[in-house]
Amino acid sequence: MFFHIVLERNMQLHPRHFGRNLRENLVSKLMKDVEGTCSGRHGFVVAITGIENIGKGLIRDGTGFVTFPVKYQCVVFRPFKGEILEAVVTMVNKMGFFAEAGPVQIFVSNHLIPDDMEFQIGDMPNYTTSDGSVKIQKDSEVRLKIIGTRVDATEIFCIGTIKDDFLGVINDPSAG
Amino acid sequence: MEKGGKGFSLPPQTARKSSLKSNPQGVASLKGKDDSSTKSKRGKKVQFNFEGSPEANFSPKSGGKDETTFPKGDSSKWGKSDKTSTGGKNSISKEPQPLEFKIEQELPENAKCMMDCEAVDILQGIKDQMVILTRDPEFRLPVSFDKGLQYAKRGGHYTNPQLVRQVLETLTKYGVTDGEICLIANVCPESVDEVFALVPTLKPKRTKLSEPLQDVLSELAKLKESASLESQMERAQVDIPDN
Repeated sequence: MFFHIVLERNMQLHPRHFGRNLRENLVSKLMKDVEGTCSGRHGFVVAITGIENIGKGLIRDGTGFVTFPVKYQCVVFRPFKGEILEAVVTMVNKMGFFAEAGPVQIFVSNHLIPDDMEFQIGDMPNYTTSDGSVKIQKDSEVRLKIIGTRVDATEIFCIGTIKDDFLGVINDPSAG
Repeated sequence: MEKGGKGFSLPPQTARKSSLKSNPQGVASLKGKDDSSTKSKRGKKVQFNFEGSPEANFSPKSGGKDETTFPKGDSSKWGKSDKTSTGGKNSISKEPQPLEFKIEQELPENAKCMMDCEAVDILQGIKDQMVILTRDPEFRLPVSFDKGLQYAKRGGHYTNPQLVRQVLETLTKYGVTDGEICLIANVCPESVDEVFALVPTLKPKRTKLSEPLQDVLSELAKLKESASLESQMERAQVDIPDN
């Protein structure tokens, strides 16, 4: 899910960026530093939408650098346990399948795929029901539920399930 | 039901054991179904007496639940999910709890959740501006931005986020949280049953919520229809110059 949030960061700026364009330089450095990063608490910082406040700069001892506390608003994307997401399948194998929802990777183990869906090996590996009416393969869109998340410095990784009511392939109305 | 739930926490060891294995549960719930179909409504009370054995522990729950909340016979499959959302809280250790969607506890205070369609508006706006604003050739929008926008566009079923929010906010007076509202908007459900299945935190409020939720869903369906109409119109307009 997407969120609007206010975050704070201490930005160090080299004196050569001072002058009339200081604010502009500070903001563009902030964007370069922050956008696209990922933290466990907040998720992926997708975009900065505004600057709330830039505090007074503090000269660092021994260097010419100045630290500015910057408060900024941004849009973040973070998956939650229990959240329902629509994801695109990126890879299918006998262990399950991987899907992507925005910047987040989700793995759905074959234990969490409905029992009536069997793995089919081939050029286009897929999970198919015995009557062939529902098929999950690369680029399928599935609705899944997040049941676990793991966060490291640059990535959020989720475990999902489609073994529940109203989950499964979206395009196919008989799925569920 | 609650009485029963408390009772179940008495033998914590058996409860924990069975929560680790998923198969016995499944078997138990299936059995529960059989029980309920033969013993009918009376089953709920009768089975509370069998608290001692772990198997009977689970069977009355799913069986009883099916009788009360899912009058349709075909919902037997979901006895399991019922357990995780209601009975599970009391008896089956901590495992099922994380499945409940409780954003508010995990989020910092100054965060506000957004529906996908709102995110589309904001992100698309930024992207449009970027083309003009950035003269820095080194500056590029990060991959996660594009992926996020792509995702939001795919999931955003509505074109008018303000209206959608207005419609859904009528639910706040029934105790529906902001996170749940956004989840409903993103999932774009078609029926009340779908909402309760996907957002189990709403289940306790089911009796109060069913009717207003139905109204809200029909409103949303209209908005969705108009959104798809609009996109069709747009496509049609694009087509005209070609001809």
